[in-house]
Amino acid sequence: MNQPQSSINRRSFLSKTAAGAGAGLVLGAPNILRAAEPGAADTIHVALVGFGKQGEVLFNCLKNIPGLHFQAVCDISPFNLKWGMGQVRVHQRSSAKGYADIDEMLATEKGLDAVVVATPDFWHSPHTVKCLEAGLNVYCEKMMSNTIDGARAMVHAMEKSGKLCQIGHQRRSNPRYRYVLDQLINGQKICGQIVNINGQWNRSLGSSQDIGGEKLHASTIVPTDVLNKYGFKDMHQFRNWRTYRDLSGGPISDLGAHQIDIFSWFLGVAPKSVYASGGNDYFKEREHFDNVMCIFEYDTPQGNVRAFYQVLTTTSAGGGFWESFMGTEATIKISEIASSSAIYREDGAPKWNHLVQKGYLINKPAPPKPPPSADAVQAYESKPPEGFDLPGGFNKPAHQPHLENFFAAVRGKAKLNCDARHAFESEAPIYWVNPSALSKQPIIFTPEHLSV
Amino acid sequence: MSNEAEESCQGKKSCCGINNLALTYGALLLRVWLGVRAIQTGIEKYSGTTASSKVVDGPAGEYGLTAGDAVKNYAIENYHGVPSALMKKFEAEPMMLKFGLPLYDKILGPVLIILGVTILLGLASRTSLFLLGLLYVSLTWGLILINQNDGVAWLGTHMVLITLALMLADHNRLTILKKW
Repeated sequence: MNQPQSSINRRSFLSKTAAGAGAGLVLGAPNILRAAEPGAADTIHVALVGFGKQGEVLFNCLKNIPGLHFQAVCDISPFNLKWGMGQVRVHQRSSAKGYADIDEMLATEKGLDAVVVATPDFWHSPHTVKCLEAGLNVYCEKMMSNTIDGARAMVHAMEKSGKLCQIGHQRRSNPRYRYVLDQLINGQKICGQIVNINGQWNRSLGSSQDIGGEKLHASTIVPTDVLNKYGFKDMHQFRNWRTYRDLSGGPISDLGAHQIDIFSWFLGVAPKSVYASGGNDYFKEREHFDNVMCIFEYDTPQGNVRAFYQVLTTTSAGGGFWESFMGTEATIKISEIASSSAIYREDGAPKWNHLVQKGYLINKPAPPKPPPSADAVQAYESKPPEGFDLPGGFNKPAHQPHLENFFAAVRGKAKLNCDARHAFESEAPIYWVNPSALSKQPIIFTPEHLSV
Repeated sequence: MSNEAEESCQGKKSCCGINNLALTYGALLLRVWLGVRAIQTGIEKYSGTTASSKVVDGPAGEYGLTAGDAVKNYAIENYHGVPSALMKKFEAEPMMLKFGLPLYDKILGPVLIILGVTILLGLASRTSLFLLGLLYVSLTWGLILINQNDGVAWLGTHMVLITLALMLADHNRLTILKKW
């Protein structure tokens, strides 16, 4: 599929996918989920660059998208490469070609349409730029890069090449997030004036330990000369690149970027400042802070908004990860995990009976009222807010809608939900969190901080 | 019913002060009740649920938001004779025969269905009722072991109904095999 904008007839695509679904029902096999035939006109030929943990997460979503043919897999780890090629072969019943080097892959493979990049952060920009310059559409995992200049290069390459470049802020395609923003915040304006945002990702020590012990299985070891060629000092760096300053942005970009992205997206503006604090509270040897807290200030058309965000890799207390948009009339707490989400109407705000009747929201059963507390001054307490919930969820893997959006855009049927420019606008302030925490100084953003 | 009473019923409209037709109806109703009860209980052992989701109505549906639902279905692969929660308790009981439990688990559903059908059709009704009674006795014993007294009482009412059906066997009509 070399001409993505025009090579697929909508009617034929729909009829082919519908026929596939029908056959699947009769035969009892999900053949619609099989990869497309390499020669079919509507097939998108895909290369998978990076088949580590995240690469496999994405591949498991890609398997559910009709019309994709996985032509090549690229990974410097022989183990990952073999594993990835095996996964592809099982899925599409034909082999993908394997490469350790992306330059060799781009020079050799003809007819590729798109590349899915899931390499370590410090390789995102070089890999994405190479692929865009080779005329390929790119889906690249977030964070765009470990440096703001790397991210800038990606935007420039996308705009120069005219190709598509989607960044993996997958919440941007999550139907629950899109519904909350379009219908509840902007449409029905249920929050009133948003005055504060809280967000967090608290992860337990158990989930934050280094990957791989002292003794690695021989089959998983990448030769040292190969590691050095691709920027890794040793296997520990290769497997734990997220903890090294030169290779990643640390927890604030690794985990926080997903959520801080939502702050800017929902508010529709970039922050005007950040003030951060961080430290190596438990993992003393790590280059990156293990715990970081920061406050962004936004100047929105409705007024000032302060957004507090914390990423803790030393405790899961506090309910995991979520973002809470607190307004004068309501608070929307949303998370990728539906059960962590909730909507609260402030006492005194307009009633929402009409919204419930029209199906915008559903009532949430009120929790049992706690007994009066002797140590609280009741006169100072607010009446507990009334609880509501979204009328539905969605039943796909979290990354799938974002990948579906990308391939729909490749087919010319959709606009990207998070292209490199929009992703940059959202990510740029995040690059300044660690510098603020290191200098213990607030950073007031200027155009130089945030512009491409 | 004694011979004397039976004789007194011959050619008469009433027996022991109860109309013959009413006794026949009573016998039939008990047969139907016990038969349906046993058949459906057996069939339910082949039931299972699969999660489904459908797009919700209203504005959220335009975003593809779905509401989860559990859809009940029947299939051989769903079969569970003894509920898994009870199975674990039975396995922990020292008096429970370890080799007998899996066998009992396998045959409970089919036996309930077979006995229910024979009772409903009137196929050796008395023997079928007796066997169903024995089956309920076995269930009762199991529930006594795990101290499920409510279940024991519940099965006790079934035993009363089976006994009543056996007492009314002489008034049983519409049968395929009256013998036994």
